[in-house]
Amino acid sequence: MIVLKRSWRKYSIDNLEQVMKVKIKSWTGVATWRWVANDDSCGICRMPFDGCCSDCRLPGDDCPLVWGQCSHCFHIHCIMKWLQSQQLHQQCPMCRQEWKFKE
Amino acid sequence: MSLKPRAVNFEEVWGDLVETVQQVVTMGSIKRSVWNTRFSDVYSLCVAFPEPLAERLYTETKKLLENHVRQLYFEVEEQSEENLLAEYHRFWIQFSKGTQYLNHLYSYLNSQHIQKQKFSDADLTYGSMQMDMSEQLLEIGELGLEIWQREMIRPLQKRLVGVLLMGIQQDRTATATDAPTSTIRGVIHSFVDVNMYKKKSTLQLYESIFEGALLRETGSFYRKEASALLQDCNVSQYMECVIARLAEEELRATKFLPPSSHQRVVKEVQDRMVADHLATVHAETGSMVSAERTRDLSNMYTLLRPVPNGLTVLVHHVKDHIKQQGLQAVTSLKGDNIPAQFVESLLEVHKKYRTMIMDVFHNDQQFVGALDKAFESVVNHRGNTKVVCRSPELLARYCDTLLKKSTKGLNESEVDDKLGHSITIFKYIDDKDVFQKFYARMLAKRLIQQQSQSMDSEEAMINKLKQACGYEYTSKLHRMFTDMSVSSDLNQKFNEFLKSKGKTHELGINFSINVLQAGAWPLGQTSITPFAVPQELEKSVQTFETFYHSHFSGRKLTWLHHLCQGELKVSHSKRTYLITMSTFQMAMLLMFEKVDSLTCNELQTHTHLNDEQFNKFLQSLLDSKLLMTDGEELRGETVVRLNTDYSNKRTKFKISVAPQREQQHEAEQTHSAVEEDRKLYLQAAIVRIMKARKLLKHTMLIQEVISQSRARFAPQIPMIKKCIEQGSVVGLQDEEWASVAYQAEKIHLFALIPLSLDYALSSTQFSVIPRESKTCAQLATVFVKNLISSTQSTSF
Repeated sequence: MIVLKRSWRKYSIDNLEQVMKVKIKSWTGVATWRWVANDDSCGICRMPFDGCCSDCRLPGDDCPLVWGQCSHCFHIHCIMKWLQSQQLHQQCPMCRQEWKFKE
Repeated sequence: MSLKPRAVNFEEVWGDLVETVQQVVTMGSIKRSVWNTRFSDVYSLCVAFPEPLAERLYTETKKLLENHVRQLYFEVEEQSEENLLAEYHRFWIQFSKGTQYLNHLYSYLNSQHIQKQKFSDADLTYGSMQMDMSEQLLEIGELGLEIWQREMIRPLQKRLVGVLLMGIQQDRTATATDAPTSTIRGVIHSFVDVNMYKKKSTLQLYESIFEGALLRETGSFYRKEASALLQDCNVSQYMECVIARLAEEELRATKFLPPSSHQRVVKEVQDRMVADHLATVHAETGSMVSAERTRDLSNMYTLLRPVPNGLTVLVHHVKDHIKQQGLQAVTSLKGDNIPAQFVESLLEVHKKYRTMIMDVFHNDQQFVGALDKAFESVVNHRGNTKVVCRSPELLARYCDTLLKKSTKGLNESEVDDKLGHSITIFKYIDDKDVFQKFYARMLAKRLIQQQSQSMDSEEAMINKLKQACGYEYTSKLHRMFTDMSVSSDLNQKFNEFLKSKGKTHELGINFSINVLQAGAWPLGQTSITPFAVPQELEKSVQTFETFYHSHFSGRKLTWLHHLCQGELKVSHSKRTYLITMSTFQMAMLLMFEKVDSLTCNELQTHTHLNDEQFNKFLQSLLDSKLLMTDGEELRGETVVRLNTDYSNKRTKFKISVAPQREQQHEAEQTHSAVEEDRKLYLQAAIVRIMKARKLLKHTMLIQEVISQSRARFAPQIPMIKKCIEQGSVVGLQDEEWASVAYQAEKIHLFALIPLSLDYALSSTQFSVIPRESKTCAQLATVFVKNLISSTQSTSF
């Protein structure tokens, strides 16, 4: 009885070891992000999208990009300034279509 | 007694007055009642009726005083040289006091009769030239002193000065003086005090009759003294003597002379003993500096400081010496941990000479400047011009070792201290951009691999750099820092996301991630290699990507697998080990889950790694003994087996890739990256300058570029020239401007030329040029000519 129990245990440990020979315990990934825009630089301020608009000091989350439904893309600060300066129609500065933020 | 004017018999009253006056000037005793009567006598004479007798009183008094002084003069004159001073002094004290009292006695005459005719202060200061001082009536006290000067000092002048100088000379040679100090002092001061009533140039008499002679005497004495001293002692002893002499002479001056002379006498001694023998002292400077004889140097500093340009030679020697010592300390570095040796030995030298300058040279700005100059050249020293300067790299590595987790056991404040000191060295570095690149790379590595000892120290160091070099310099480092905290937020959100979907255990591993801004981190895109993510990780990668894209639109994630790392639980041998390793190594080890041996080809096709990376990472696993091969060489068909006999004392450890070669490679990469950055920086600077100035001489342009970029690095002129030539291509992307070299009046000029038609026609200068007929170059020429003529008044 005792012998049997021991051998069962031995078997189970062996089995476990064979299954879990190499196992990932934890993993830390590293990734970079960049904007996916159809152009290299903002059509309003002419600064690259990898940089920030001319009023900001640091690019990144503080100076994000926005897309219009016409698929044109600008720094959010640039397009907001542009839209505020327009009195009648809110148009995309690139294609003159009505500006609507893409959801 | 009535104050009313009445008729007075002058002879009668004067008869009484003469007696008292004589008593007063010889300091005899007078009864108060007599004094009071005489006082009113003076009054009654001044207001006498019918005619005031003041004028007569004045002439009589003058005559009386003249007679008295003449008499005294004969008495003094008879004295031998030894007694001359004593006698003169005795009479002077008596007479000067006497006249003072007499002045009081005659105060009515002074204030009513003489004051009226006296010139006011304004007359004296701004008065016309015709004022004749001899005609002027003087107050009685002043009159007495005036008579003394004329009747006593003038005729005795030569003898008095001679005896005085003798006395001072005796004091100098420390023999017993004939007259006591107080007498000599008193006589000298009498030359000044005799003019004490005068409103200006009270020192004139003193300076003309005595001071000049004294200075001449002093000069010749010390000239002799100096050459005698130099005959029989060396410079070091000589300096000691001179310092002692100067101190003595200063004391002597305060003992005998009025304050105005103190400086002059000391200056005379300095001139004769130091300035005249500057060459002798300078000849010894070099050897004293190199032997660091602090006492001598301190003496030398004291002596040379007052001499104009006296210190230049010393400063120069000190600078050279420090430079030499610094170079010696850093050129012979060997063995382990060269960065630490480099920085710490430099700091030691710096500290040594900093204290020396403080102790010996009293923190004189010239020497502090010399220290800085010397260190600049030591820190930026390179063996020959072809080799890059290693200091920025070494310093960055030093900071890295301090900030990394280590077992050295420095506590946080010690680390902060050392980092603070390293800023001292940092400030001397010319190529601050190189340091920045290295530092950023190492910081990236520390942050990604979580090797930082403490985030507080990291941040403190970045702030120190910011203080030294400005916001711009550290902005990327700050962005890296923010990315880390953004990432930790992101991890939390991701976990919540998993929980909300009920997928917490679906990934099967403990997953975390750093999401970094591509532009801020010095992680070259070049090192991205093809790689097949192991099956075990695929789920995590995909889940996270879905999560990320649902949160942030318009962003593209790029996985940097060469920087990812994980912890593996390996239990193929007797014990279980927790091993930290890179993803590539993980991918290979995971393949041994099912089998015990694989060929290299199998491993490589499965992981998709390129040859270079594959060999590198496989080799690292082989080196760690987890895997083994039969032969040394790795070929496609080589069989790699799991080492089932593996054992290690530690159950938790890390496998890294051969660091030495990596470092070398990294350094080269960094330097070439810096070179690229510099080119861009210079081009940007050129464009900036040209847009502001429009027209500039070639040499001036180069100078401006150098001054703009000095804070970051020391640009090389050929590089600037090259960038100027390329300037039109790179910096001026709008194609509105182009730079053109223009040869006019033998000056090589650069100008920015607007080439677009709109611009040209709207500008008044161009309204006459029909665009079709001119080529761009001709247009440019005309433009430059116009520019030159419009800026001709301003010099450029």
